Amino acid sequence: MTALLEVTNITAGYGDGPAILDGAHLTVVPGKVHCIIGPNGAGKSTLLKAICGMLKIRKGEVVLKGERLNGLRPDQILRKGICFVPQERALFPKMTVRENLRMGGFTLGDARELDRRVDAILDRFPILRERANQHAGTMSGGQQQTLAMARTLIIRPDIVMLDEPSLGLAPKIVQEMFSIMKMMSEEGVTVLLVEQNALMGLKNSDIGVVLDLGRTLIEGPAADVLADPRIQELYLGGRKAA
Amino acid sequence: MAQFIQVLILGLALGGVIALMGSGLSLVFGVMRIVNLAHPSLIIAGAYVAYWAFKLWGIDPIVMLPIAALILAGIGVLLYRLMFEQEAKSARYSEMTVLLTFALAMMVEGLLGAFFTNTQRVTSPDYATDAFFISDIFIPKGQLYAGIVSLVIIGGLALFLKYSRMGYAIRATTQNRDAAELLGVNVNLVSVVAFAIGIGLAGAAGALVSFVFSFFPAKQWEWIAMLMSVVVLGGMGSILGTVVAAFSLSVIAAFVGTWVGATWSTMTFFLALFVILLIRPEGLFGEKPEMA
Amino acid sequence: MAATLQTPDTGAVLAARKAHDEKLAKRADQTRAIWFPVTVLAVLLALPLLQFTGNYNYLLHLVLFTASYVVMAAGWNILGGFAGYVSLGHAVFFAIGGYFSGVLLARFGISTLLTAPLAGLLAAVCGYLIGQITLKVRGPSFIISSIALLMIARILFDHWTFIGGANGLALPINDLPVLWAKLPYYYAFIFMAAFTVWATYRIKHSKLGLGLRALSKDEIKAESAGIDTRFYKVVAFALSAFFVGMAGAVWGEYLTYLRPNIFLIILVSANLVLMCILGGKGTIAGPVVGAVLIVGINELFVATMGASELNLFGTGLVMAVALMFFPLGVVGTLARKGKLPRILNWD
Repeated sequence: MTALLEVTNITAGYGDGPAILDGAHLTVVPGKVHCIIGPNGAGKSTLLKAICGMLKIRKGEVVLKGERLNGLRPDQILRKGICFVPQERALFPKMTVRENLRMGGFTLGDARELDRRVDAILDRFPILRERANQHAGTMSGGQQQTLAMARTLIIRPDIVMLDEPSLGLAPKIVQEMFSIMKMMSEEGVTVLLVEQNALMGLKNSDIGVVLDLGRTLIEGPAADVLADPRIQELYLGGRKAA
Repeated sequence: MAQFIQVLILGLALGGVIALMGSGLSLVFGVMRIVNLAHPSLIIAGAYVAYWAFKLWGIDPIVMLPIAALILAGIGVLLYRLMFEQEAKSARYSEMTVLLTFALAMMVEGLLGAFFTNTQRVTSPDYATDAFFISDIFIPKGQLYAGIVSLVIIGGLALFLKYSRMGYAIRATTQNRDAAELLGVNVNLVSVVAFAIGIGLAGAAGALVSFVFSFFPAKQWEWIAMLMSVVVLGGMGSILGTVVAAFSLSVIAAFVGTWVGATWSTMTFFLALFVILLIRPEGLFGEKPEMA
Repeated sequence: MAATLQTPDTGAVLAARKAHDEKLAKRADQTRAIWFPVTVLAVLLALPLLQFTGNYNYLLHLVLFTASYVVMAAGWNILGGFAGYVSLGHAVFFAIGGYFSGVLLARFGISTLLTAPLAGLLAAVCGYLIGQITLKVRGPSFIISSIALLMIARILFDHWTFIGGANGLALPINDLPVLWAKLPYYYAFIFMAAFTVWATYRIKHSKLGLGLRALSKDEIKAESAGIDTRFYKVVAFALSAFFVGMAGAVWGEYLTYLRPNIFLIILVSANLVLMCILGGKGTIAGPVVGAVLIVGINELFVATMGASELNLFGTGLVMAVALMFFPLGVVGTLARKGKLPRILNWD
């Protein structure tokens, strides 16, 4: 089992500010769903931003299929096969749903192929088909998140990174997000998920990663992480009590 | 009634040029969040290109328009690389860029003034002083031609933004820079292109302005306030909004100029700007006050 | 539950923090060198004695000119530096002050030196009223609104016949001998500059100054911390207008005429912004350093290039370079690096 993406010992932060990530590492296994958990400020989102090129990596390496990604811009990293769906504002609010999907395939050269794929996505998500000509900004939070996630399927990247797709959504809608994620995974897309709700995240993943103070504490099968008493106490138990 | 229609026509005739003057400003703000206070000074630079081409070689300013646009677009690329590219990461980006463009406006005015002095200039092709007559009502040819050319250019811009791949990328970057970059758009390239188009539009507007208004380097301050009122009313970043606002304000200014006094016609724009900023800072077409 | 567990901890942490802060405060106090500004002031006050040895009118003019800009830039700094509202329209208050005192001088022969505080008050009232309106928006919108304000004022002053319209007003020239003619204005500006710098120091360290600095960082947070941001901003606007108006009053008499195209031009506003940025926005010494630098650079440009148009280009160039490479200004950059000489640490 070779790693698809290998993150070794990276340090990163915002601007001239302190390092948020301080020696984090991560091994991404092809075809699996990975869930990154940890307390607020642990550097979960920062890790995704560093991988996709939104943040400058100060130290360490990000290697995708043997190729070093350090220093590339987000648009170049997307072309290498990593797609990032940020926590909020992932859409173009004044473009229609269809135009948003078309933007998802911006890197495709062939316009006819793009139209075909956009239609295929609209077929799979009836809710989006219904609203194909509506401005994305006018949809509900759940619909917007569905669109943002569905959009990644247009180019079928190797890895999709999702930053808290469940944020601010009703429990029932959250379930839908996880089923879309499962759908991605079944298509062979490797998923990297950051989730505040550790219990829920781990239950829906194959591999669990615990981040704290910018460092990777634990990496292992999600079930093991879930069962680990230390994790229970530190990240799951505290949650229950609160 | 005839006078009413006359004033209306004069207002509408100027609206097109003002819309073109504002459209570049709006585009640059939309894509780069740069409030380009130097835009009017660059329009004046474009006007000088057309003025001298006419004066020295007798080239019609409308023929000169594409060349003025290209020259200014080139200057735009240079300015972007030199001044704005590294500012993109600055924490107080929007405020910094306003001050930076303000400094640029002073530099351009100083240079133009040093070369061409602050004498009032106007390009005078035959049509600039001619007019069509429909019974009692006259339509000044120069303003009519300038208005039509402006609308054609703005129409072309709108089609380009709506349907071309680069247009998609520009619109996406305008609406959500991060998301565009995450979907494979080279936002830095898009910024350079959009900035060049914006400044190129200033050059194009300059060629038309050169025979519609008299101009001199220091005229820019009056135009800054005028164009700001147009793009702010239109909702900064919205081209359609800019056009609608340009026509509305131009017509109102024409009426104020006729019935209240010529001085107060420019005042219309300044007061409008003041009022709009206070009542609806996001403009008539804007989504939310992102300039805050 | 968590709160009770942490109580002893927080107490200890707060105590440690307080000790740390006190140490820092002591260090800050130790590095301040009051003697420096006081010495500079003393030298400037004695400077006119040179007139007994020859004609140093040009030197006096330069000092006076710089001092007038210190008053205005330090005043601008209250709104632009402390509160973070960059105004390009402060020439309006310069004109209001200048015209108010100028008209009193022209009609009733009252020296502007006496009416300057009143002119400042009038400018402050105007600033208060204008601020009520324009301070609703911030960032670029505010900057643009301040330009609009200047344009509106220019049209009004250009067409107001009572104050001479675009031709302006001529003011009587004082009847002192040439060597001493500048002295009243010289001392007035030195006094005002010293007063303004002292006042901005007091303001920065007052509750108002604290509130302003808080809201310049994050207005919403400042508001939720219980600061009446609206009131604070408007007061800052009025205070900054006060100093600029006062300077305008005396400047008019010194110049011996008032004209919109001298008082109501954007270059006056631009200079204030430039001085504060170059010197260090929001610091006490910044506007002073900036005024000295800009007046110096200006004289250099005028001496070498002559033409006022190239002068404008030069001002723009200096501003662009300062913004791109020293956004914190001389004082700010040095302070950030911990290399600010003690004599310039007036904060």
